[in-house]
Amino acid sequence: MATAPTQFAPKDYKSDLKPIWCAGCGDFGVLNALYKAMSLCNLDPEQTVIVSGIGCSSRLPGFVTTYGFHGVHGRALPIATGVKAARPELNVIVVGGDGDGYSIGAGHFPHCARRNPDITYLIMNNNTYGLTKGQVSPTSMVPLASLNPKVDPKRWKTTPYGMMENSINPIAQAIAWDVAFVARAFSYKPNQLADLLAQAIRHKGFSLLDVFSPCPTFNSDQTEEYYKDFTFDVPEDHDPTDRVKAFELALRTDGYPIGVIYKREGKPSLLDEQAALRNRFVSEPPATVEALFRKFR
Amino acid sequence: MPSQIATAQTDVVFRLVGESGEGTVSLGDLAVKMFVTLGLDICTFQTFPAEIKGGTVMYQIRARSGPVPSEGDAVDVLVALNDEGFDLFGDGLREDGILLYDSDVFTPTPSPGRTDYSLPISTLARAEKDAVRHSVEPEQLKRLPAPKNIVGLGALLRLVNAPLEPAEQYIRDLFERKGEAIVQMNISALHTGADHVAEQAAGHRTPRVFPVERAADIVTVNGNQMLSMGAIAAGMRFYAGYPITPASEIMEYLAKELPRFGGDLIQAEDEIAAIGMCIGASYAGTKAMTASSGPGISLMVEQINLAGQAEIPLVIADIQRGGASTGMPTKTSQGDLNLALYGVHNESPRIVLAASSVEDCFWTAIEAFNLAEAYQCPVILLSDQTLATRKKTMPPPDLSRVRVVNRLTPTAEERAAGYRRYKDTETGISPMSIPGMAQGAYVGTGIEHDETGDPGYTPQLARQMKQKRFRKLETLLRERGEEFVRVWGDPGEVEVGIIAFGSTESAIREAAERAQAEGYKVAHLHLRLLNPLPVEPIQEFAARCRHILVPELNFTGQLAGWLRVHMDIKFHAYHKDEGIPFLSNEIYRQITMLAGK
Repeated sequence: MATAPTQFAPKDYKSDLKPIWCAGCGDFGVLNALYKAMSLCNLDPEQTVIVSGIGCSSRLPGFVTTYGFHGVHGRALPIATGVKAARPELNVIVVGGDGDGYSIGAGHFPHCARRNPDITYLIMNNNTYGLTKGQVSPTSMVPLASLNPKVDPKRWKTTPYGMMENSINPIAQAIAWDVAFVARAFSYKPNQLADLLAQAIRHKGFSLLDVFSPCPTFNSDQTEEYYKDFTFDVPEDHDPTDRVKAFELALRTDGYPIGVIYKREGKPSLLDEQAALRNRFVSEPPATVEALFRKFR
Repeated sequence: MPSQIATAQTDVVFRLVGESGEGTVSLGDLAVKMFVTLGLDICTFQTFPAEIKGGTVMYQIRARSGPVPSEGDAVDVLVALNDEGFDLFGDGLREDGILLYDSDVFTPTPSPGRTDYSLPISTLARAEKDAVRHSVEPEQLKRLPAPKNIVGLGALLRLVNAPLEPAEQYIRDLFERKGEAIVQMNISALHTGADHVAEQAAGHRTPRVFPVERAADIVTVNGNQMLSMGAIAAGMRFYAGYPITPASEIMEYLAKELPRFGGDLIQAEDEIAAIGMCIGASYAGTKAMTASSGPGISLMVEQINLAGQAEIPLVIADIQRGGASTGMPTKTSQGDLNLALYGVHNESPRIVLAASSVEDCFWTAIEAFNLAEAYQCPVILLSDQTLATRKKTMPPPDLSRVRVVNRLTPTAEERAAGYRRYKDTETGISPMSIPGMAQGAYVGTGIEHDETGDPGYTPQLARQMKQKRFRKLETLLRERGEEFVRVWGDPGEVEVGIIAFGSTESAIREAAERAQAEGYKVAHLHLRLLNPLPVEPIQEFAARCRHILVPELNFTGQLAGWLRVHMDIKFHAYHKDEGIPFLSNEIYRQITMLAGK
C-alpha cells in the first residue's frame, strides 16, 4: 500500500465536489466510511486511483481527492487491472453499483478473480438501477410475475407485472470464483463498514466488499428497515478461510450475513507472475530493438 | 514483363497449393529460407482456409535478385500438392509455365504450352524412411515422419537450378540433434527429389534463380512482426489483447519479447476487457496497445470513444480481414476504414493511420504512438491480412531514424497554481498528469466535463470542450499532416492519378511504373493518414489529374466516400472485396482504360 509520510484525516480525502445523491441515499454512509477507512490505512491520496463505472455510486471518484477514472458501464474492473498492472505501487480501489458490477460487468468478475490483482472492489448494492430511474437489477427481489404480485408502477418500470428472472447471489458467486476476500456490509452500520473496508484494502489480492446501500427514491422494498431486519453479523466462530463453510453461510435463506465471509491468504496473483517473469531476464544483457531484428536474419 | 528465362536476373513467382495441415506452408517456409540464404529478396502472399485441417492453402513466393515490389502477377512455377488446390488456384499459372505436381495424389490433364513435372512425393519419402529403418531406434522410427517436405524442396530447388548446398547445410543444422541417420535420410531425400526432376528436365526450359552476394544483416520479416517491433521501439510497455485471426501473432510475438523490455502483457477475457486494460495502463502513464481485427474492433468501439472523450493516448491496431461479421477470417480486405473513421456514437477525436508495406508497418507503428501521445487520443492503425502474413527480405530499418514522442505533462508550477487537466488551450492539447504527481489529481472521465474534469453539460461547456478536443486534430494537420502523404510519378499534368491507402501500394506502384514505361503520364498519391484527412495535398494532386482512380479492397468504396465528404472531385472508384489483393495487372488495365477515355 502506498501510504503517506504524515497521517491523513478522513476530511483530507473529501473533495470540493458536492455529491449528486438524493437525501437519505445509503451512498453517503459508504462515502464517509471510505474516507475513514482510507485514513485508517493512511493511503496517500496522490498514490491512489479510484476507478468506477456508470451509475449513481460510480460518481464517487469525483468526491474524493485522489486520482480517479470514471469509465463506461461495467468496465471498471479491466480498467483498474490495467492501472494496477502498469503501476503496481499505486492503491487501486474500484467502486460501482450492483447493476454496473453484476449485470453488464459480470463477465469480468471471474477473470479478475483468476488474475487476483491487489485491488479492492466496493459495490454499493441498492438492488436497483437508480440513475436510470428504477429498473430491476440482478440483485432485485421483486416477486416473479407468475405469482401475480402487486408491483408499484412508479418503481419497477421494466417489470410492471413482476420479475421475469431469478435474482443472483453475488456473495456465493464470488466464493465460487475464489475471489480472495469476500465481505458484506451495511451502510447504516458505518463503523463496521469502515472497519471492513479497511480490511478489504489491506488484504493482498482482489477483495470484494458488497455494501447494502438503500435507494430511498427508487427502491421502496429494500429499505433501511428491511436490511435492519434481514441482516445479521457473521457468527464469531465462523472461519472465513473455510471455503465450504463460507459457501454455506452465503447460501443461508434466513438473512444476509454481514462481515467477512470468505478470505484466502497468499493466492497467486497475475502481478506476482509478471514480476517473476521480469526477474527472469534481469541477468541477461539489456534488451534492444537491434537484437530483435537480429533474430530475423 | 521482362523475360524470366535464362537471364542473370532472378525474378520467379512460385505458387504452392495443397491441403491445409499437410505441409504446404512448411514447404513454402523452407523454400523462402533457401532463397534468402542464396541472397535473393523475397515477397510472399499466403491465403488460408479458416479451419485448422482441410481446405486449401495457397502460398505464393516471388524470388528476385533485388527489391521485390509485390508478390507478382502471373505464376511461373506452380507446385500442386493436391487436385483441389490445382483446381482452385491453378489458373494463375502462365500458359507456358511449369507445373510440379504430387503424382501420388493426382494427375492433371496436360495443357499445351505447360511443362509438367511429376513427383510421387509420398512414395519417394516413404522409401527414404524405409532406407534408414535399420539405423534408427524403433521408438524413434515410429515417430519419424517421412521426409515429404524435403523431397518437395529438393525437387523445387532443382527445378530452378538452385544449388543444393545451402539446403544440405540447413538440414544438418535442423536435424543434427536427432542423429546422423536422420540427417542422412533428409539429405538423401533432398537429392532424390532433385534427381527425380532432373530426369524429366532434359530439353525443357525452366526459370532459374541465381545466387546473389549480399549483406549479412538482411532480415526476413512479416508485417505483424514489424508492427510489434515498431511498438516496442516507440516505448510501448503494456499490451492487452484477445486471440483473433490475423492479429494473434502480434500478441504471441510480444508475449515472448515484451517481458525482456520490462513490459507486461495480458491475454484478456475478451476484447472489451483488453481495451479497458489498455486505457487503465495509459491513464497510469504507460504506453499501451491492443491489436485485433474487424469483429474485435467492433467490440472495442465504445471504449475507443471513451479514450477520445477522456483524452487518453491509446493505440489500437486493426489487422483487417474479410468481412462482414465472421466473414473470411484468413483473407484480406480494406473493409474497416469506415469503422475506423466513423465507428463511434456521437463524435470524439480519433486518428486513423494505415500502413502501406511490410517495412512501413514498423514506422507507422512508431508514428501511431507518437501521435497518440502528442495529441492525447486514440489512434487506429490499419493493417491487413496481406501485410500481416507477407514475408519480405530487407535490410533492418535504420534505428537512428527512430524518434519517440511522450505526452505533455504539467510542470510542478502548473500543478501548484491549480491544475486543470482539460484546460482549453490554443492547440487543444492540455498537459496530462500521471498518478503519483503531487497536486495533479483529477478524474479522467467520459462524461462531458469542465476544465477540471468535473461533470458538466451546459451548452457553453459542450461547445467549448468539443471544440477543444477536435482542435487537436486541426493542430495535427497543421503541424504534420503533409508528412503522411506520399506522391510518385510524373510531375505536372497527368492523364491518370491514383489515390489509395494501405497494402494496395505495391500493386499500384508496379502498375503505374509499367504504364509510365509505356509512355502514359501517371501519378500516384498514397495516404498514410486517413483522419484527420490531409485535404490540401490531395486537392493539389487532384487538380493536375485528368482522371482519378481510387482503387480499394472493399465492397462499397469507403475511401471514395471519405474523399467525397471532404472535397468536390470526380473520380473513378474501383472497389472489390474478394479476399485477395489486387494484381498489378488489373490496376494497370484500369489506368490504361481511363487514359484512353
